[in-house]
Amino acid sequence: MSEPYKHQGVGQKIQKQLLGDWYQRLEEAPARGEKVAYLFISGNLGELLENFGFHLVYPEVNALQCGVKKVAGQNILAAEDLGYSGDVCGYVKNDIGLLSGGNKMPQGTTLPPPDLLVCNYAGCATYLRWFEALAEFYGAEMVVLDVPYLRGTQGPSPEEVRYVVRQLEELAETCTRITGKTLDRDKFRQALEFTQESEELWSQVLHSARRRPAPIDAYFEAVFFMAPIYTMRGTKGCLDYYRALALEVQERVDRGIGPVPEEKVRIVMEGPPAWPHFRKFWEMFKKWGVVSVASTYSKVGGIFDQGFRHDPDRPMESMAEYMLGCYTNRNWGMRSELIKEYMEDYRADALVIHSVKSCRSFSVGQADLREQFIRDFEIPTLFIESDLADPRYFAEAQMKNRIDAFFEALHHRKVTARV
Amino acid sequence: MHVAGIDVGSTQTKCVILDENGAVAGRGIRMTGADVLKAADQVVAQACVQAGIEPHEVAYTIGTGYGRYRVATGDDQVTEISCHAKGAVHLFPGTRTILDIGGQDTKGIRTNARGEVVDFCMNDKCAAGTGRFLAAAAEVMGLEVEEIGALSLEATESIKITNVCTVFVESEILNQLSRGRKRQDILAGVHRSIAGRSASLLRRVTVESELTFTGGVARNPGMVKAVEERLQVKVNAGEDSQYMGALGAALFALERELAGARRQEAAQ
Repeated sequence: MSEPYKHQGVGQKIQKQLLGDWYQRLEEAPARGEKVAYLFISGNLGELLENFGFHLVYPEVNALQCGVKKVAGQNILAAEDLGYSGDVCGYVKNDIGLLSGGNKMPQGTTLPPPDLLVCNYAGCATYLRWFEALAEFYGAEMVVLDVPYLRGTQGPSPEEVRYVVRQLEELAETCTRITGKTLDRDKFRQALEFTQESEELWSQVLHSARRRPAPIDAYFEAVFFMAPIYTMRGTKGCLDYYRALALEVQERVDRGIGPVPEEKVRIVMEGPPAWPHFRKFWEMFKKWGVVSVASTYSKVGGIFDQGFRHDPDRPMESMAEYMLGCYTNRNWGMRSELIKEYMEDYRADALVIHSVKSCRSFSVGQADLREQFIRDFEIPTLFIESDLADPRYFAEAQMKNRIDAFFEALHHRKVTARV
Repeated sequence: MHVAGIDVGSTQTKCVILDENGAVAGRGIRMTGADVLKAADQVVAQACVQAGIEPHEVAYTIGTGYGRYRVATGDDQVTEISCHAKGAVHLFPGTRTILDIGGQDTKGIRTNARGEVVDFCMNDKCAAGTGRFLAAAAEVMGLEVEEIGALSLEATESIKITNVCTVFVESEILNQLSRGRKRQDILAGVHRSIAGRSASLLRRVTVESELTFTGGVARNPGMVKAVEERLQVKVNAGEDSQYMGALGAALFALERELAGARRQEAAQ
């Protein structure tokens, strides 16, 4: 990657700019008398809320930013001072700590208070309690959507879709009551057209990792590349971002460039990253020439690479299907199927599971997943643990030892297999 | 030609020197302490004396263990997980599963006939079930850690130890002592408790015969018996157990030295 190229770093740069502008607009919203809605990433309904003029706050994204900027630790301690237990999710405690300190984000802007809290995914009980705490603190209205967990082997049933659509219609009525606006169907259609095209481009970016060498790291890079599609979907800015990113990726393909100088091992990653130690965590893999060719966390806001698209002709229905199909709403059989498909489709050598203490929606079942992949599928699988927000759970020496031992063993076995 | 393996563990640092035929020529051991470099130098010096060579005559050195990156004399580093597998299969060729209980961690390792790691599991974030757990138990009873294994074999019953925390187990033991329980019986319970934790760790990697027990704790006869009883398999263990990591490192060093020599010959 030594020689600079035309679109180098475009994906990172524009993403940073978009997020910066977004936080700036959030800060200015109350002064402009504009409404603010808080919601969660998984199966979010950004296009619908934005239609009513809401600015969107994603507390998970704030926690992630605080993690990367290394202030999550102090926020978490502040929440523990208020009585939150050591076992409570680090994202929640980061948010509470941030709130107790005046909602000042590490890059300098202040987060606005909510006019509406939308718990769009209640599959995680913690989400529900989190927004209940915020609703009580701010005295804001809270809407909880009940999204049925997918228990079978297929996607959602027509009844389940109708059930969620009905709730979306009720939510639209609530939005009208709060903002005095009605749903603008043309604007909604336009937003979903932007969404659909962005999803197509994002899928192409993710699929590019099927190549050898993979032009992108579908975990360590993709977790940044995914930000616009999960936070500002349905906007022209989001679509332009993926057009620019697609050019960067294409240029990497043309030049045979990848995220590491020499791709030696291809892995599928399951689980969120260790945000407070992101660089260090990535370096532990890079050292072995490891490239993530697919990951589940980069799909946490939508599994578009498997073909799902929002449909401007069926706006509410497709939005409901999207919410029902999100990764953590799928049962373990479906999740394991998806990972296995990634292993084959992307010709990966191994599976790495990063289990995080904070997020039970992700972590429960991962020990069984490890056993299934090793015993039933005979796929080398590494299980490591830390956290996505709390820096105290990252034991560097132990983490490094496990990663080194795993790739060392993989290397030894590859060498002897060749002899 | 001689090669060395240095295992800088959390508690002890060990060195094994091999000759060109892979026979052990010298060994050294001492407490790691705060100065990792000094510990490494001293065990190499001890092993060299036994081998009858000078430290500079060691052709290739591999460091392993938590302090492996600090070993200045090392040519390369390999994790102790790979080294224990390598060493165990070298000494006991039928080994397919390894239980390594060291000072601060416990590992379950599955290996193939070539001594390559197929799968492994380790204790996380907690010293329960490690050598430190035994040391804490010994300390609270005023015993040396070396004597508790044999003492546990004299037990007439095994007191159930419910605490898994290395710190809190001390108060549980004090409580049992104050109730007049025999030290032997309490110790049998302590050993059983660790064997139970080790068994669940091993089951995660699948227990396949033969099982080789490595690490400092493998020298404890009470622990070997408790593991055998718990898993109902014969356990390979011996005086060399604590050198297993260093032996594996030395075997890697020998392979690399010989491969290097072959490459040089081919080039000429």
